[in-house]
Amino acid sequence: MRTPALTLCCLLAVACGGDFSNDDLEFQNALPQREDLAAKLPDSARSSQGVRTRGQALSRAQVLGGPSELALQAYAAGTQFNTDVDGLLALLEVFRHVPPTTREPDRRVWGPFPADGHPGHELRFVMERQGSDFGYLLQVRPTGGGEAAWWTYVPGTFKADGGIRKGEGSLAMDLKEARARGFEPQDANLVERLDIRYQTKVLPSSVELLVSSLGGALPLARYASRRTPEGLGEMSFRLPGEDLVPGGLLETLDIVARWTPDGRGVLVLNILDGDAKGAQYTECWDTRTRITFMQRNWDFITPTEGDRRTCPDVSALDPQP
Amino acid sequence: MLLSTAAHADTLHRFALIAGNDTGGADTRPLSYARDDARKMHDLLTRLGGVSPADAKLLLDDDAKDFLVALSELEQRAREAQARGERTALFVYYSGHAKDGALRMGASRLAFDALKRRLADAPVDIRIAILDSCRSGALTRTKGARKAPAFDVESGAARDARGVVILTSSAADEDSQESDALGGSYFSHHLASGLLGDADRSGDGRVTLFEAYSHAYARTVADTADSSAGPQHPTFSYDLAGNGDLVLTDLRASAEGLVVPGSAPAGSYYFVDPGGLVVAELDKASDAERRVALAPGTYRVKRRLSDRLRIGEVEVARGRTTILQEPRFKDAPFSDDPVKGAMLDRGAWWTFGLTGGFQSFFDPQTRQSLFLSVPLFGAEAELHDYFRRDWVWGFDAAVGGTEGVLSLPTLAGPAYRYSVVNVGTSLTAEWPVGRFSPFVGVRVAYLVMGRKFDDAAFPDQRFAMVSPGLATGARFRLTRRLNLTARSRLQYLQYTVDAQRSLGFWELAALLTYEP
Repeated sequence: MRTPALTLCCLLAVACGGDFSNDDLEFQNALPQREDLAAKLPDSARSSQGVRTRGQALSRAQVLGGPSELALQAYAAGTQFNTDVDGLLALLEVFRHVPPTTREPDRRVWGPFPADGHPGHELRFVMERQGSDFGYLLQVRPTGGGEAAWWTYVPGTFKADGGIRKGEGSLAMDLKEARARGFEPQDANLVERLDIRYQTKVLPSSVELLVSSLGGALPLARYASRRTPEGLGEMSFRLPGEDLVPGGLLETLDIVARWTPDGRGVLVLNILDGDAKGAQYTECWDTRTRITFMQRNWDFITPTEGDRRTCPDVSALDPQP
Repeated sequence: MLLSTAAHADTLHRFALIAGNDTGGADTRPLSYARDDARKMHDLLTRLGGVSPADAKLLLDDDAKDFLVALSELEQRAREAQARGERTALFVYYSGHAKDGALRMGASRLAFDALKRRLADAPVDIRIAILDSCRSGALTRTKGARKAPAFDVESGAARDARGVVILTSSAADEDSQESDALGGSYFSHHLASGLLGDADRSGDGRVTLFEAYSHAYARTVADTADSSAGPQHPTFSYDLAGNGDLVLTDLRASAEGLVVPGSAPAGSYYFVDPGGLVVAELDKASDAERRVALAPGTYRVKRRLSDRLRIGEVEVARGRTTILQEPRFKDAPFSDDPVKGAMLDRGAWWTFGLTGGFQSFFDPQTRQSLFLSVPLFGAEAELHDYFRRDWVWGFDAAVGGTEGVLSLPTLAGPAYRYSVVNVGTSLTAEWPVGRFSPFVGVRVAYLVMGRKFDDAAFPDQRFAMVSPGLATGARFRLTRRLNLTARSRLQYLQYTVDAQRSLGFWELAALLTYEP
């Protein structure tokens, strides 16, 4: 009788504890999810795969009733945007469903863990909290290194607004530092740094992605995505150094594309610099990505083609007063 | 009347020392009813035995020193009575432990020999000692005392009886046994029942010493014959100067009482108090009127037949004699026996039941955002009288759950399902009073709390911990096999995840148990 009772007591003692923590939930809530930051693309955007994201397509003639190359290019930009965001968030996703290794007041630490695909390196994830402000660091060090050997690969911040992942945040991936430390990224060979800023506390939610190329080989690319709960999506991006118009100057293009869940859309292209500075082109397309309306501000003979009423109402994406 | 000849009953000044002690030191198990037996005997002697309350001393759980001090005080008063020319008698009753030739009064001892010398030297004319304790028969194995036959006692009206009379509940090598159904020891119960009237074989309304002894002897042997401890044989010795029988109680000394008329059917009658205890019995012969000197109160009366019970109720009013009306009794099955614990003297027994209740933490923030208040439903098993009588070893398991919405400083809105699994074991002590059995005890539980979020972005969480606590409540006997229990628990829980926090929670529950 005594032995089973003692055994039972020991088993119960071992089985005590757990991860029932409100603080853990608040820390986990400060981490962005892919679905929070990804651009919402219509199903028809799949046909944009393989389309290059540079501006040479603009040199083709736009034909009413013909395919909207610009729409496909906007979708392609959204797909690339999502790929870049995924690549960054995938690094954080590991820690979302794993209980922290160390709990301290207003601080959580996961790891160290061996870095998959990077022999000789190990990772840890550190989160700290001050009121509603959270900061987090994905850090790397050579295996067995001391506390001072940690360097930051992905820093991030989040200011919580009380709701489920509602707030303002930022995160970045320093690929230049990684290469300098011998922690070679597996993708993004030409990228030096990724920066993401986002806000989810007011509608429409918005995400901005800055891509810095390695050694300035490519101009700084800026992508911004917004969306509404009803499924409206917006992709805005700036393409510098495009030779769009014959002449001695390169153009800088500013593109804002908006679409509905069923695939209709409207795009406004502004030429900010270059030989055609000040030119603006507006285009609408239907669910099959065929052009239904065009407007050119430089064409005084036929400034518009098609029916403007075919353009979808995407005013919900306009900035709220 | 106590210790008086029938002819001189009114000339004897009677003194009584009555002691009961449930404890007997480290090497003995506590008794349950020794003090109750003493109280009953004190009540009986002052009500029917001719002892005035001022001349009676009742000692409960007092030690040997107190006992001897009280004895000295009574002896002093007896001297004063003798100085006034009165005849005197001293009655000493003790219920409790005895072992190794001594009475055990708590941690103290009083040797049999010392007690007997003290009695022999007492400045009174007649001394009677009644010892209800294990192996008390050793006191009667003393040189000079004659062991009386069980029933062959002449009850003639002898005069001028003097000396020492000793009654013991068991022989020198026997244990004295208690009974839950009787609420006392077998010997004291049958002695008291006899003094109330059952022992009045002559029907003259007086119960003599020999009548009481022979009655208690026969009934004690009969009741204990089949017990696990074996039959218990009371002993009786006397070295009286004369061969007189002595009247112990006068059933007509008190105006109130119960008369069982001669027309009432013959057989065994049991008089049960409101607490379910048999306070008196009566073995009635055909056409014989019998008197039972019950104290004022309401009693259930049971007459046992071969195939059923006859049950009635009678109220004994103060200052009046009540006539028992047996024809008004009703037939009842054996399962409706009004005697408390009629089924109890049978060792350990199980009950099984279902429970419903509610659990909530004391700390408001905890019960709002961490461990929610939940209804609980479960099953329990209880093992009664295993460790000792009226102790209950319980085993319980319960589950509960509720829906919640998280509301934290930086996170509000996630909906989740909160659940609790609760298993435990408890040890409680009951104090049965009629159908009610209040109880209090300790419990240790193992709790597993968990929550599962609707939003898959938040992981499922779990916490498990051992929780000690207290339990109290009352069990109510609905029927012979069904019990309804109301219970509360106070438990302690150490929370260890976000921080080390000491938490407390309570549970209220109702439990319906069935006894197979």
